[in-house]
Amino acid sequence: MKNSTKPAPNANPVIRLLGLGEAGVKLVETLAMIGPGGIETYSLDTDNRSLARCHQSQAFLLGQAIPCGLGTGGDSALARAAVESDSEQLAGIVRGADLVFIVAGMGGGTGTGAASFLANLAKEAGALVVGVAATPFDCEGIRRCNQASGGVRDLKQVADAVFHFPNQNVVLMEGANVSLHEALDIANRHLCEAVLGVSRMLLDSGMLNVSFGDLQAALRGRHSLGSVVHVDASGDDRAAAAVRKLLTHPAALGGEALQEASTLLVHLSGENITMAEIVAVTDAIGSHVTKANLVVGASEPGSDGAGLQVTVVIAHTAKLAEPGQEQAKVHPDQTGQASGLGFSGSFSVPDTGSYLDLGKGAGGTSRGSFAYTPPAPTADALTPECREDLIRVAAKEETNRKKRQKIVQEMLPLEIVSKGRFEKSEPTIHQGEDLDQPTYIRRGAVLN
Amino acid sequence: MSNSQIIVGLEIGTSKVCVAVGEVSENQVVNIIGLGQAKSRGVRKGEIIDVALAEEDVRNAIVEAEQVADVEIRSVFLGVTGSHIRGFNNTGVHPVVSADREITTSDIQDVIKNAKAINLPTDHSVVHVIRQHFRVDGQDGVLNPEGMLGAKIEVDVHVVSGRYNRLQNPIRLVNGLHLEVDNISSCALASSLAILSPEQKELGTLVIDLGAGVTEYAVYSAGVIKHTGVLAVGGDHVSNDLAYGLKVPLARAEQLKIDHGSAVIDPEAGDREIDLSNDSLIPGRQVNLGHMQKIMSMRLQETFELIARDIGQAGLIEYLRAGVVLCGGGARIPHITRLAREVFNLPVAIGRASTVSGIKNALDEPEFATPVGLIKFGVFQSQANPRRAGFGRAIRRQVAALFGR
Repeated sequence: MKNSTKPAPNANPVIRLLGLGEAGVKLVETLAMIGPGGIETYSLDTDNRSLARCHQSQAFLLGQAIPCGLGTGGDSALARAAVESDSEQLAGIVRGADLVFIVAGMGGGTGTGAASFLANLAKEAGALVVGVAATPFDCEGIRRCNQASGGVRDLKQVADAVFHFPNQNVVLMEGANVSLHEALDIANRHLCEAVLGVSRMLLDSGMLNVSFGDLQAALRGRHSLGSVVHVDASGDDRAAAAVRKLLTHPAALGGEALQEASTLLVHLSGENITMAEIVAVTDAIGSHVTKANLVVGASEPGSDGAGLQVTVVIAHTAKLAEPGQEQAKVHPDQTGQASGLGFSGSFSVPDTGSYLDLGKGAGGTSRGSFAYTPPAPTADALTPECREDLIRVAAKEETNRKKRQKIVQEMLPLEIVSKGRFEKSEPTIHQGEDLDQPTYIRRGAVLN
Repeated sequence: MSNSQIIVGLEIGTSKVCVAVGEVSENQVVNIIGLGQAKSRGVRKGEIIDVALAEEDVRNAIVEAEQVADVEIRSVFLGVTGSHIRGFNNTGVHPVVSADREITTSDIQDVIKNAKAINLPTDHSVVHVIRQHFRVDGQDGVLNPEGMLGAKIEVDVHVVSGRYNRLQNPIRLVNGLHLEVDNISSCALASSLAILSPEQKELGTLVIDLGAGVTEYAVYSAGVIKHTGVLAVGGDHVSNDLAYGLKVPLARAEQLKIDHGSAVIDPEAGDREIDLSNDSLIPGRQVNLGHMQKIMSMRLQETFELIARDIGQAGLIEYLRAGVVLCGGGARIPHITRLAREVFNLPVAIGRASTVSGIKNALDEPEFATPVGLIKFGVFQSQANPRRAGFGRAIRRQVAALFGR
């Protein structure tokens, strides 16, 4: 196989980590402390107080002229104005980066308002932009949640991929009795894992490398709402434990997310990884995957002990996010193989990464029931928003057509309650209840 | 006889058509001198569904009443009901513009006129506008503001309205029998007029008329009507539930309800079976008394609960210091007061038409509250529009004004 993207042998990709807003700054501070070397970290906020706590990363105050370092108070428009006023300096920050992570807590002002603008700047500078977004707990109020989902949507339209972790997932995972501190801690850890997992994948010198090119091929231009699953396991049966953890991870949706993925980057890291372990993990993932391109890498960590760490980057197909036109430019069938082992890291699982490939030779045979009319090729010129709209319309038509084809047999009630003498009279409907039906039936009383 | 006046109340109910003939003496004492009844066949849920049958039943009842009272009935006060009738409160405001700020009769008329200007759906028309209290510059509870000083006068009214066409149906039917309709009244208002004493109205009372087709209720407090409502659920529903639940014909269910019905579940009834063997249609059948009581009790309890919820939403439960008064055929169900007491948590009594004299039968039976009340309504109307040569015409004019479109 041929490599279409060649990482330079001794130069790691330039990874920049931008934390936006209070939550983003906190995460970036943590990552700067524990993360692998070689990542440049920046903290950006409109609030002076939050930046005053930054010691590890380079702090940058957004909007010196408008909120004057006092924060936006949840006003995303103000944040947008602030970040626009500083666009020149910010463009300087993202210039020359290969991969830019934008870490933001959605729902507030700065993270929600500024993330998409910043992503756009990074995009223009030629970087692969990955958003890492946390959305608030349900209990934080509907307004905040709406603002957060709006922020994620905006970011998704610009960034190549958004790894999104709803804080509410912590409650689902740990139960409602988890303490607030713990819950936030777990949420932060998941977000950190997403960044660390990807950067470790790219930076660790490995036996089986997952290169920047692989990541780029998987994500570039997809505007997908992807996820990163990072698990570690230790002990005798660490591969099986890792697989178990992987499939129960909330971001994997019990394996559902794997099924819908178009590309999976799997990276194993640990001391003395055996072939059996690699096979066990990849087989387990492969059994859930129907049509994705699977890229496997493995590396030996410097310090991390005996544990096996598995990182899976899941990039979704059109169902969850539309595959971009740009995807066709980089064919997903490529390996990131750069080591001298002569072992191909790519498992060629039936590939329908893009429906544009459907007509091409063998790829077309394995598409199953996937019936999607390719849009006109001129759609290339459209903006992402416009394209999303079009695809949404197309998707709607799709469901309508399906509806027409499928005749659904309605479920009939077990007992048809006759209304006796009121059968033909005007029904007495009181607050949605038909009072003409016997009360004892409506209230479910049993006569035995 | 020459100085007395005959007033007739007609109720076209779901189970029976009932006519009461009242004689009003010179000093406004009402004496019930005649009653006429006929089984109603053309009415469902308080509204006419078969004009020919209903007309025949009304004619029979009128003829019977004429025979008993030995009078010729020319005009009636008609009770109207049905699920389309609704009651609500409205307020009218009027600024007192005269220089000395004294409230005059015309100010009072104006403020009432303002209160009557209600934004009703186009197919609705007003049945009653009942004055509650005046407020003068925010001073509440003024009964008659004439002669008082004030800058702003307000009046609260209770409005009862219904669908124009559906109100017209019984009126047209009565007119078809060559009878005049002096005026119409909602049955809930009529029943409460018959059975409530002024003290009960003052203290606050809920009147529930448990009819066959509909259940109507009215709340009095501080001497005025505060709230009315109609629920299109009645004794027919109880019979229907029994027919369905016990799998017996509707007529048999009706008879079972009358013979063995109870509003509360007797814990010992569960073991008792009622033998239906003497019924030729269903020989050898037995029905369980416990089941029957359960079905009845649940329906009646639900009806009371719906009323209690409505009154609770209107914020009037706390004002019912004189408790609940039941009337209508449903009030004859054994233990109905106990059930109502449990639901409303208030003292409950069966209403008697105690404010009039006459045939004992008419006064003691809770079913006759509405026709007797219609007579009282007629008395009030004739007092308000004193009888001269053209008494009937004056009332007719009112009806014409209400329905003359």
